Amino acid sequence: MRLDRRTLLISGLALATFPAHAAKVAQGLFVTDPPRPLPEIDIRDNQGQAAGVAAWKGKPALVNLWASWCLPCVAELPALDRLKPIIEPEGLRVVALCLDRSGAVGAVNTYARLGIKNLDVHVDHHRAAGEAFGAAVLPTTLLLDAQAREVARYVGPAAWDGPESLALLRALIAGKRLDGAMGPPLVKPTANP
Amino acid sequence: MRLRVLALAAGLALLSPAPLWAQEFSGRFLLETHDGKRVNDESFKGKVRMMAFGYTFCPDVCPTALSTMAAALEKLGSKADQVVPMFVTVDPKRDTQAQLKDYMSAFGPSFVGLTGTQQMTDAAAKAFRVRYEIHPPTSKDSDHYMVDHSAGIFIMDRDGRLVVKMGHLATADEVAERVARVVDGE
Repeated sequence: MRLDRRTLLISGLALATFPAHAAKVAQGLFVTDPPRPLPEIDIRDNQGQAAGVAAWKGKPALVNLWASWCLPCVAELPALDRLKPIIEPEGLRVVALCLDRSGAVGAVNTYARLGIKNLDVHVDHHRAAGEAFGAAVLPTTLLLDAQAREVARYVGPAAWDGPESLALLRALIAGKRLDGAMGPPLVKPTANP
Repeated sequence: MRLRVLALAAGLALLSPAPLWAQEFSGRFLLETHDGKRVNDESFKGKVRMMAFGYTFCPDVCPTALSTMAAALEKLGSKADQVVPMFVTVDPKRDTQAQLKDYMSAFGPSFVGLTGTQQMTDAAAKAFRVRYEIHPPTSKDSDHYMVDHSAGIFIMDRDGRLVVKMGHLATADEVAERVARVVDGE
């Protein structure tokens, strides 16, 4: 009781004195320890067939959460598209999960506009992924083990086909322990994609 | 020293009639919709309002407040037509009417994008006690991105009075539940 009250008073004071705009969202690679099983949500492919968490089990996966209204998300899709044919033969599933309200239409249009060739369409059918997977900002990319448990997440856009990313993803495939320093560099989009 | 600080905080808490953040909140604005219509807070009289501030050109990560609002509206079912979801840009230079119109269409037909001159948007932000700062990206500090902490979702009643400001981590269920209560006049 006493502790609660004290905490309350301290937080009240903090609210009163700290600048309201100074909060920061930390970006980069964060290890999820212990690994967190992903909740099952309704994810569909381009044909409306179930393509969710259960279907990701069996091998490690990279699951990128994106939306067509999110410029940095759209900017990193081509790198994921280039990554997929490189890394999938090595044993990693690459999934781009579209959180658009328009579902597959938004994903297909964006793929067409960007010339995406390798990524399949995955849509968050009831737009539950952001909350269910705990992503408060986009893009957020989840790294899953073969049991579809989150072992790390990357917040922000990255050069997914670059050497740092490949080293990280190969460690994930090998089942090695990841650490925060293994994250690929953040990429700042320079123009409207 | 710590005890004195706590005592002071306790004293302030007792003296303040309203939460500190609620003071100076007028909720008034004069802005232009993404369709070029000039509107103010009274233009939406009779409707419950959900409002978020932000900008469409998020440079490296984008908050999901508008997605949360869109999901909340769907959860509201038939009550949703008594609710106006609004988005006010704090970056009117880049967020033109055309840009906003395109952006709002991603969230739903009832979303109203609001922009104006820098003066108009500054005045609106002030009226909602929204503080913002747009930092040009620097290569030195690429690990962090300034997010407007006073962003979040404002819920206002049919007269435009603030009922509550939900934090940026509020879930669609929480927002829908709160808005439903306002629609029901609670």
